[in-house]
Amino acid sequence: MIEHGDIKSILPHRHPVLLVDRVLEVRAGGRIVTVKAVSGSEPCYAGLPDDAPAEAYDFPASLLVESFGQSGALLWLHTMRAGDGVPPGTLIFAQARDCVFEGAARPGDVLRHEVRIETLKPNNVFLTGETYVGDRRIASMGSAMAVIRETDSLSPAPASDPTAAAAAVNSMGETA
Amino acid sequence: MSSQSCAAPLRAVDEVVVDPDGTSAAARKRVTRDDPYLVGHYPDFTIYPGVFQLESVIQTARELIGAPARLVKIRSLRFTAPLLDGDELSIALTLSEDLVAKTLVVKARCTRGDGTAAASMILEFAR
Repeated sequence: MIEHGDIKSILPHRHPVLLVDRVLEVRAGGRIVTVKAVSGSEPCYAGLPDDAPAEAYDFPASLLVESFGQSGALLWLHTMRAGDGVPPGTLIFAQARDCVFEGAARPGDVLRHEVRIETLKPNNVFLTGETYVGDRRIASMGSAMAVIRETDSLSPAPASDPTAAAAAVNSMGETA
Repeated sequence: MSSQSCAAPLRAVDEVVVDPDGTSAAARKRVTRDDPYLVGHYPDFTIYPGVFQLESVIQTARELIGAPARLVKIRSLRFTAPLLDGDELSIALTLSEDLVAKTLVVKARCTRGDGTAAASMILEFAR
């Protein structure tokens, strides 16, 4: 099990966009199971009027996909560290196919992501998996792909501090 | 955050123009590090998460389909360029019907302010 604080030594994402609460299990090259609690106190629910219908509280699909993707990133990084090491750069969500959203999560629900590696290459990974709330499957991700991009190709205008960007990336390479 | 009709990570479109025929729309969004969630993505440099381009398209589609429109499928989704603090995102989408699946199909292209293709996607919404 990997607790939330320790996830920060693996992923560069920070509050409030670190959307994995806990890793329940992970096997290098295999599968990861993570949970993320959906709470009415998170930013995505901030602007709802008092008379909003129940459906308005569906956890946004974009955030569900992000939470799933971060779970996949954890699996990928765990796998790379167990093998040849993590290549330098930033992990970027590149594409997805055949993602079906069968249900929704609402405040009080706990998302459980089960993510598996389909194909592993030195600089990219194909993932697949599902998201559950209890026994109810609410999403199945046919295929998602992430790539490692050199951070220099992402950095903004020269005025920014390149060492700051490097620090964000280096946090992905530190051992948990 | 201003009042909104359903849960959303941020206001992902600044302006939407719906074509009179109701089958296409254009929208824009200026990426700003001050938006919710962006402070953590990432602390040292701001990258608009790819999923927020998906959110921009969903919010644009809701202008065409109606506020409660529920995403049921991502057929395909590709991110091809990063968006940084200050970048302008343009969204162009078209709406059609899948009579077999009984869903509304949204095809969208997102372009960065310098003309670079940023994302393309095909989504399905419940009717």
